[in-house]
Amino acid sequence: MKERDLMLLHYITGIGILVFGSIHIATVFFTYPLQDTIWETTLRFDSIPYAVLPVYRNALLAASLFGLLLCTTVHAMNGLRTIIAELIGARKRWVEALLVAVGVFLMVYGTRTILIAHALV
Amino acid sequence: MVEKVKFRVFRYRPEDGGRGFYKEYEVPVKKGMTILDGLIYIKENIDPTLSVRYSCRMAICGSCGVRVNGVETLACHTQVLELRRRTIRVEPMRNYPLVKDLVTDMTPLFRKQKALMTWLIRRDTVEQENPTKQYLQSEEELERYLQFTYCIQCGLCYSACPVVSTFPDFYGPQPLMKAYRYYADSRDEGGEERVRLVDRFEGVWRCHFAGSCSAVCPKGVDPALAIQLLRRSALKG
Repeated sequence: MKERDLMLLHYITGIGILVFGSIHIATVFFTYPLQDTIWETTLRFDSIPYAVLPVYRNALLAASLFGLLLCTTVHAMNGLRTIIAELIGARKRWVEALLVAVGVFLMVYGTRTILIAHALV
Repeated sequence: MVEKVKFRVFRYRPEDGGRGFYKEYEVPVKKGMTILDGLIYIKENIDPTLSVRYSCRMAICGSCGVRVNGVETLACHTQVLELRRRTIRVEPMRNYPLVKDLVTDMTPLFRKQKALMTWLIRRDTVEQENPTKQYLQSEEELERYLQFTYCIQCGLCYSACPVVSTFPDFYGPQPLMKAYRYYADSRDEGGEERVRLVDRFEGVWRCHFAGSCSAVCPKGVDPALAIQLLRRSALKG
């Protein structure tokens, strides 16, 4: 892949994080158990994911969460590739291969989590 | 009126193998005196072993690039009294191998310029060998690259670049700016090749747009702008 394609992807995924991240934050905010006080909610933190996750039975919201996962993974791995190369002062192929592997793992694990949330009864 | 200013000059002798040290010299200064005048005064009257590179003394040749109080500047272009300091720290430029004292080896800069083919590329070899006409340009065509021709290759921007400091393979502001200067020239026919060269890991994408290159340029050239324009060209393909 050419460097310009990677960087174009980097810019696009950056915008994607803003868009999908906003949707995600709004989703979590509006499905938050608002009837409780903040103090009570904090004390019952374990129950929060279960209050939020069923929202992702909606296919559009699940797709937007997948979009966030994809954009964050691509943007983060490409960003790390640049940061590591600049930190060590050289480009290492094995570092890039490792980042691709980490990215694939994150995508697989994240997709699995979204699918579980999507199918949650 | 003559006043005394302390010059704290970085000294480095390769034969010592050390990391260098600072030596202080007291220099009588009067209005209009430049850092270079001060360094020449030291060399002629106090310490003849001090090495400093200079030539034109009027900000044209770009030989006397140094760091004064941590900021890249031409020694001949900076007046001592305008700094309003009792002590002035003079150091060699960063990101270059050190030869001696304030003298740096500019080879990395010129090597990268060459790698980016910073010269006019023409395909009409027959016309080149037997010219029959002039290469005319409109005012607009000239405006596209004019400011970048003012570069005197002093290398201050390369020294000020934070990316070159951490990632020495980065082409750096001056070679990239020079590449854009020819890319934007309507007479040049090597655009595609040049874009391919700058569109590499070490190329335009590594610029963090800190802008320090443009800030230190003694000629008011804006290498950071050239890099952004090159990025646009690379994205367009």
